[in-house]
Amino acid sequence: MSDPVLGLIMLGLIVAAIMMGFPTAFTLMGVGMLFGAVAFWDPTQHWWQNRIFDLMVQRTYGVMVNDTLLSVPLFVFMGYVMERAALVDRMFHAVQLAFRRVPASLAVTTLLVCAFWGIASGIVGAVVVLMGVIAMRPMLNAGYDVRLASGAITAGGTLGILIPPSVMLIVYAAVAGQSIVKLYAAAMLPGFFLTFLYLVYILGWAIINPKIAPKLSEDQYRLNVPDWLQRLERGPAKRVFGGLLGAFFRPSLLRGAKTAGGKPIGYGFVVNTVLTLMVPLALSAGTLAMTWWYVVIYNAPATVSTAKPLQEQAGVAAPAPAAEAAPQELGAVAEKPVELGQAAEKSTVPADEKPQELGAAGSPVEIAPAPPSEGPPREMTSVAEPAAAATSKIPANFYSWFWAFAALFGLLLTYYYWRMDGEQFEILRELVASVVPLGVLTIIVLAVILFGITTATESAAIGALGALYLAAMAKFPRPVAWWSLLGAIVGIALGLRRGEFVPLLVSASLGATFFGTVIPWAMGLSKSQDLRRNLNEAVFLTAKTTAMVCWLFIGSALFSSVFALHGGQGLIERWVLSMNLSPLGFLFVAQLIIFLLGWPLEWTEIIVIFCPIFIPLLAHFNVDPILFGTMVAVNLQAAFLSPPVAMSAFYLKGVSPPHVTLNQIFAGMMPYMLIVVLCLICMYIWPGMTLWLPEFLYGN
Amino acid sequence: MNALALIRTADRISYWIGKLFAWLIVVLTFVVSVEVFKRYILNAPTAWIFDLNNMLYGTLFMMCGAYTLALAGHVRADFVYIYLKPRSQALLDLILYLLFFLPGILALAYAGYGYAAESWRIGEHSTVTAAGPPVYHFKTFIPIAGALVMLQGLAEILRCFVCLKTGAWPARLHDVEEIDVIETQLSQSEFIDEESRQATLKSAHAIDEAARHRSAVTVTDIKEQKKP
Repeated sequence: MSDPVLGLIMLGLIVAAIMMGFPTAFTLMGVGMLFGAVAFWDPTQHWWQNRIFDLMVQRTYGVMVNDTLLSVPLFVFMGYVMERAALVDRMFHAVQLAFRRVPASLAVTTLLVCAFWGIASGIVGAVVVLMGVIAMRPMLNAGYDVRLASGAITAGGTLGILIPPSVMLIVYAAVAGQSIVKLYAAAMLPGFFLTFLYLVYILGWAIINPKIAPKLSEDQYRLNVPDWLQRLERGPAKRVFGGLLGAFFRPSLLRGAKTAGGKPIGYGFVVNTVLTLMVPLALSAGTLAMTWWYVVIYNAPATVSTAKPLQEQAGVAAPAPAAEAAPQELGAVAEKPVELGQAAEKSTVPADEKPQELGAAGSPVEIAPAPPSEGPPREMTSVAEPAAAATSKIPANFYSWFWAFAALFGLLLTYYYWRMDGEQFEILRELVASVVPLGVLTIIVLAVILFGITTATESAAIGALGALYLAAMAKFPRPVAWWSLLGAIVGIALGLRRGEFVPLLVSASLGATFFGTVIPWAMGLSKSQDLRRNLNEAVFLTAKTTAMVCWLFIGSALFSSVFALHGGQGLIERWVLSMNLSPLGFLFVAQLIIFLLGWPLEWTEIIVIFCPIFIPLLAHFNVDPILFGTMVAVNLQAAFLSPPVAMSAFYLKGVSPPHVTLNQIFAGMMPYMLIVVLCLICMYIWPGMTLWLPEFLYGN
Repeated sequence: MNALALIRTADRISYWIGKLFAWLIVVLTFVVSVEVFKRYILNAPTAWIFDLNNMLYGTLFMMCGAYTLALAGHVRADFVYIYLKPRSQALLDLILYLLFFLPGILALAYAGYGYAAESWRIGEHSTVTAAGPPVYHFKTFIPIAGALVMLQGLAEILRCFVCLKTGAWPARLHDVEEIDVIETQLSQSEFIDEESRQATLKSAHAIDEAARHRSAVTVTDIKEQKKP
């Protein structure tokens, strides 16, 4: 006994029932049970033999063996551990120093740190409260407009749920039966594009109207260069590079010098300093080497086959001295031989190339804020590797591109090192200590997922392990370093069987991470109460969040099968199709509904309950489910910034000084909603922005 | 009161079991990482690892369901609910617990038992790989988790009754919250002045609580409340 009308009643009832505020997982379960019992009703049986009971258990088991959801606890765990290991306060300070000469530097820093820290954790409330303490007061003290300050914090705080590795996208992947990897690749560029638009907005506003973000006075960001470093400064420009290297070879240069803490400087300290100095070099070399490895070695068979027909054209089109060409020109040149066909995709390629150029150059620049003109796109570092790999589609160009980038890196690094004075070096040290570990871990986790080297689950586990490693390193740097060294040796010994260089490298780093995590943790747990508390908190919060998401899934799995049993889904499909919507009309209506639902509901409920209603319709309108999912993720950003329900506003109000009103905070958030809508429009006009990276990395 | 003692006991059981099984996440992290090492470096993949991962994950979230319920951690669309008086909340909850919660969880505990028993009887093994590991232990967790959630659900129903009678929700046990990270972060911060740090540390939980109810407390409010 099933009836589409019952299905529709069910849908109406579930909306009403959810609004009653009962835990949604059980609401779905209950409505599913009641309507399922009707569907399976068989008068010859006792009610307790109704097959709905079996369906419930089978659906539950289905969620228990769902291998997409398997990465949820791992990513959540990684986020909670990182959130406790990485000191956001220190990060803010370091990034702010690096950006001190940019207009509205505090707001720009706030947005970047929010987005970056959100990548790691993705927990909105905590980010907003924390940034409210750390950034709101300095901004208000510096005379920033309240709307500017509050907008930067709230908009930045919600970015974390969009930019991969985000749990929201995993849940969508599980709902839509899509691959997590493709969704991550798809959300990459829109996420950074949205961040970029936010930055353009802040910078544009601050440049047009400098009164809203007064420049900080010099003494507010002056750094104290320690005595020992001053001794190494050379010449009127106070350059330190030569002096630091000199001290490495001639320790007598620093004889009798003392650190800021008053300890005498030993040779170990000098080695440490020089290693810090080399981090920008190592990062850019690493980026280049990884790109080279991915394109030339790992991906070689695939690229050769696609390359052949393009080679003659590319040979004509590609200018060798690419280094001097503007990024847009490079993009256009590179794009010609590809002949993407669709006009829409064509126009996105320059836009995509731009982050590549800037992002790839960004990894040294981020540490080395030498040319201020490159300010805004610096946050794009983490696209560097996947995007730089773009060149493999055009292998004929790849080598000239590659060397052009290498030359550009080299020039920038030379310039940076040449110009470095004591202050710059101190900034570098701060950045290396605060931003780089978390940044490298995030990039590695994303890179191995996106390049298809490991599955999402595996890289989530590696990410969680890496987060534990960083947490241990923050507490016990010395033992971790020694055990890592031992682990690397063990790893190399085990990896020697393979004989190749890259597995050896991976083996060494995995070995180092294992030893550097397990043993210091085992020893540290008894010693450090902080470590114990952090681990406890992370583990229990992970359990709570995972259980919340997965039980919701059980409820929705039961609900949707009963809904389909009644034929409700078919009825909706016929109804929507009878409206003769154009694909644009459909997308607009769907996104509008999701936006409106985003007011009262949490993202978990929207994605788990309401997306499944839209997803079967996508095929009729030729909408890619991946594009749709990414648009939903972006759309929810706007929903979470919309007055009067946005929780972040209330969190921010809670930590702000009393003269900041809720209305001011909401006024600050409004423009960001419009920017999100703008981003959605761009995503619709250029689907390539979303789909280019997944298509490039994994084909169709 | 006796009902409160019963609620507290159920809470304790759910906490204890949930926290015990929560540690599976650490096990899962290491199992997957070691497998990465074995597969990519030693070229020695393990056949049953996929099943093991699923079992760890499935057991983790099933056994933490009651714990999450005891913490009121299951997501709810509370934009109307939060404006109700505790008594109305309790009445609404009570009706919905009986109508929605009991049937589904009853199914888990009752039909789950039959499901697991069947699996034990035939000695079911996983079919992901040939000669997969046994899954009957894993399936046994369905009725167990169902029973635990049922126990906690009964405690929640009891809570509703207590609230209906007294007009106030009985307290929950203290546990970690997401907002606790503020304390961890601020206790190590170097660049925040002492005053705002102390103020935030004091008010973090109040801010969290208020924001969930879509209202805001200010740091000064709390100070003023504490003075008299």
